[in-house]
Amino acid sequence: MDYLPRTGQGRAPDVFERGGWMPMREYRDDEAVDFAIVGAGAGGSTLACKLAEAGFSVVVLEAGPFWRPLEDFASDEEAQQQLYWLDERLTSGADPIALGGNNSGWGVGGSTVHFSMISLRFRPEWFRSRSLLGYGVDWPLSYEEMAPYYEEAERALAISGPLRYPWGPPHRRYPYREHEMNAAGLVLARGAERMGVAWSAVPLATVSAPRGKSPPCVYRGFCNFGCSTNAKQSALVVWIPRALRAGAEVRDLAMAGRIELHANGLASGVHYRRSGQWRFQRARNVVVAGYAIETPRLLLNSSCPSFPQGLANRSGLVGTHLTTHAGPGVWARFDEEIRWNKGPPNMAVCEHWNYTDDGKDFAGGYAFMSQGPLPRAWAQLVATSRQLWGGRLREAMLDYNYMSGLVAVAETEPRPGNRVILADERDRHGLPIAHVEFSYSDNDRRMQEHARRYMGRMLEAAGGKDPWTSEDTSHILGTCRMGDNPETSVVDSIGRSWDVRNLWICDGSLFPTSGGVNPSLTIQALACRIGDRIRTLSARGEL
Amino acid sequence: MTPLARTASGPGARALGALTLGLTLAAVLAARSRPRSVRPARPMHAPAPLRSADPEARAAGQLYLSSAMLAASVLSDSALEHYRGGFENPGMFAPLASAALVLAGAANGARRPGRSVAALPFGAACAIGMAGLGFHVYNVLRRPGGLSWGNLFYAAPVGAPAALSLAGLLGLAAREVGRGEANLAGMPRGRALGMLAAAGLAGTSMEAALLHFRGAYHNPAMWLPVGLPPVGAALLAAASAPAAPSRRRSRLARGWLAATAWLGAGGVAFHAFGIARQMGGWRNWSQNLLSGPPLPAPPSFSALALAGRAALALRAREPAWREAA
Amino acid sequence: MNTNARYPGYDVLAKWDSPSFDDSTRRVLGRRLDDVPPRRFLSEAEWDLLEAVNRRLLPQPDRLEPIPITPWIDAMLMENLGEGFRHPDMPPLRECWRLGLAALADEARCRHGRDFTALDAAEQDVLLQALAVQDVRSPQWQALHPERFFTHWLLKTAAGIYYAHPWAWSEIGFGGPASPRGYVRLGFDSRDPWEARAGKAKDPG
Repeated sequence: MDYLPRTGQGRAPDVFERGGWMPMREYRDDEAVDFAIVGAGAGGSTLACKLAEAGFSVVVLEAGPFWRPLEDFASDEEAQQQLYWLDERLTSGADPIALGGNNSGWGVGGSTVHFSMISLRFRPEWFRSRSLLGYGVDWPLSYEEMAPYYEEAERALAISGPLRYPWGPPHRRYPYREHEMNAAGLVLARGAERMGVAWSAVPLATVSAPRGKSPPCVYRGFCNFGCSTNAKQSALVVWIPRALRAGAEVRDLAMAGRIELHANGLASGVHYRRSGQWRFQRARNVVVAGYAIETPRLLLNSSCPSFPQGLANRSGLVGTHLTTHAGPGVWARFDEEIRWNKGPPNMAVCEHWNYTDDGKDFAGGYAFMSQGPLPRAWAQLVATSRQLWGGRLREAMLDYNYMSGLVAVAETEPRPGNRVILADERDRHGLPIAHVEFSYSDNDRRMQEHARRYMGRMLEAAGGKDPWTSEDTSHILGTCRMGDNPETSVVDSIGRSWDVRNLWICDGSLFPTSGGVNPSLTIQALACRIGDRIRTLSARGEL
Repeated sequence: MTPLARTASGPGARALGALTLGLTLAAVLAARSRPRSVRPARPMHAPAPLRSADPEARAAGQLYLSSAMLAASVLSDSALEHYRGGFENPGMFAPLASAALVLAGAANGARRPGRSVAALPFGAACAIGMAGLGFHVYNVLRRPGGLSWGNLFYAAPVGAPAALSLAGLLGLAAREVGRGEANLAGMPRGRALGMLAAAGLAGTSMEAALLHFRGAYHNPAMWLPVGLPPVGAALLAAASAPAAPSRRRSRLARGWLAATAWLGAGGVAFHAFGIARQMGGWRNWSQNLLSGPPLPAPPSFSALALAGRAALALRAREPAWREAA
Repeated sequence: MNTNARYPGYDVLAKWDSPSFDDSTRRVLGRRLDDVPPRRFLSEAEWDLLEAVNRRLLPQPDRLEPIPITPWIDAMLMENLGEGFRHPDMPPLRECWRLGLAALADEARCRHGRDFTALDAAEQDVLLQALAVQDVRSPQWQALHPERFFTHWLLKTAAGIYYAHPWAWSEIGFGGPASPRGYVRLGFDSRDPWEARAGKAKDPG
């Protein structure tokens, strides 16, 4: 399919109106903008909004298209593969991570266009994993510093969540109420109650009542393939419209290729390719927000005499300490019809093992959620996990409406050997592609084994028959981690590079540890905080 | 550890449901086999039967109308909601049959309030409403989470069956007033009805508050059924206190109840707007009529406000009141 | 096997003009149903081999007109658009399929002295199973990993294409496209009127 840029000529698509436009301010390439942001995902869009609303001039470069959810998004898994980063990457290691649709978005909104909307806060102690819990590393900030930004993000995204969440410190009520629980989630609930542990409705970034031009969720279940209802509060419908209204420019189908370093040791702008032509946007500050693979890739591809091993990489850590969330799964058949495709894919959660430190033979934690895969994804999982093919595959698929399952979001340890490097191969833009190397540690494996056993017990307690297991991962994090020491981190606690003072990182690459929950809310909260701090620094003339 | 939660109603619940339905249908049949207007032998102390022009007749007519309106609301609301629930328990047909009976009887009574109407439909409705309350509480408690916000939001609405009982009570009251009875439940009738209508308004308001809370009060108008009717209920309750209120206060109460009645009508318009605002709007009616704001619910405010006004009118005719004023 | 066993009479396409389908969905599914692409990338021999493989991976003895799988693989290779990642010991997309199919053809000749397409179904199954457990004889597998090729290229692709087809959705009782109309009844044993109704007991029939 051929995509053509949609933004330009003073306008950008209005995602809430079919064929609609909203005015967009434009900036000249040859006039330095305050901030050039690479990537319009959870980190980049949020920061673009905060900075534009603070009065800075902002240009966002997004490699993918500017989606129009009401028109572009078909109710079809195959056609909607267009939402993912499908340009080639290599993946290896003892436990190679699946990329593409597994964790990489493409287009304005990034992965928040195809994510499952799970919006959970970190356990407070995780910000001090090493000091308080004896594993991983400490973050250079505390939960107390993050709390107001978590709240800001939750309000901006109109999170629909339960009035009482069983874990973590109490916080302000979610703006919208929880959704009606589907049968898949009730399976988790039933199992949890029979085992005597708490469970909860997942706080979701999709509205349970009208919000502005967003109608409430219709429970169509295609969340991982784009929300054509516009109930999903992705960055595309929340932060980007705000950023545009505040004067930011978004350039879609603009692939960043290299960040240029000025002789004075500061970044001078970004080379990007749009409509087949390489261009250069001058900027006073550059923010890299391409998520944990493209961000280090861009820095590594921006080597220069001052930074032979990658821009802003004096520490040698750019691309390293990649973490993911291991996703062991357990699946079982039920006597009742579940029809798990109805509703968001993950409606119920148990965070018991995130907040319990005793009785574990591993460090770290995991949450697990109910599931609702659609047929194509399910068939591929069944076929590859169980080595099922032929008549046996078709037979197994007939149980589609009777299945239920639990999949964990399990911490993995940050280790230098898990990393993103450059490969010799080049992509269609002529840029060296990324090579991801990943292996589990013994601790990672023990955690997954624990999760498999526990989730298996819960499914059986809920009435599940003939359980079987699968393996997977979700999210990619940590490759440009923050810290309070230039030797052990790439950026400081507000994402500012130690080496290049006008270069910033604002995405999941920042995470020194992965935590046992989905990262999107924390990424957006971090971006809100970084935006706030930049505003303060600027007012003090320290930018 | 909460008790084992079954998915569908257990066999015991379904048996009870079937029994409830059976009794309802028996009531339907009994009502049909009785002559339309029954004139019981007049006890010596009973006052003379009313003529249509009498204020008491007017009040009785209003009460029948109020009962009919409430029954119509219950009929359509429970039909929609129980259809949504797939009529998985046979007892879920009972409120439809019962409300239809009440509607028929009350409509008949409203035309000729002086003539007596059978008590059975109204009495049965009281009982079935209470049974419904039991079933709805069971529905909430048997789900995972038991008594939780999630189940209060999305499981069977606990307060809704009370509306059926209310419709039945109003019909019974209309009967008594139509027959010239001065007292209801041992109290002067104006006071008794005032308390009943006030309680009904307060309860309906709480139900609206819960469901509008579920909707996060995304539209400021959603506060209207939470703010307006309770004031009306308070004014009505005050007017129903033993000491007679001033004329001004009772005028205020009457006016507020009129506003509440209009709110009921306005609520339907708001809910229709709400359905239009859902994904696909009215074109997606097969989803939005069920998952959107319930169209038949707001008129219950109008019904109860009307009953409240009838109560005030009857109160005004009480000797104590007349003396004080 | 009887595809109508579980959901007799259910056809997801019957909802084509209902609020469950919208224009963008109709556009996409119309192409899948009516614009099955011709052979443009694979050679005739490669195509025939792949057809034979897919007949084993997703056999459709119950369909007079089977769900097409090979044409969509050919189209994918023509457009050179894959999943967006591969293991370093696998060649890039087009090369991988070409080499893999060649190695598979060679495997059949090594084991049986005949073409894969000339083997009977049981022999073909045994050969494919050998790939799945890395028990290969052809030296051509040095160019790529046989188990990975079987599981993540052949099987995963075929399964994905099959279950992306509306007839497969009807087979498994999947509600199908759902926009603007989604679902109302989310609980256990709760079916919306526009969903598939399960037939009698869950016996494989």
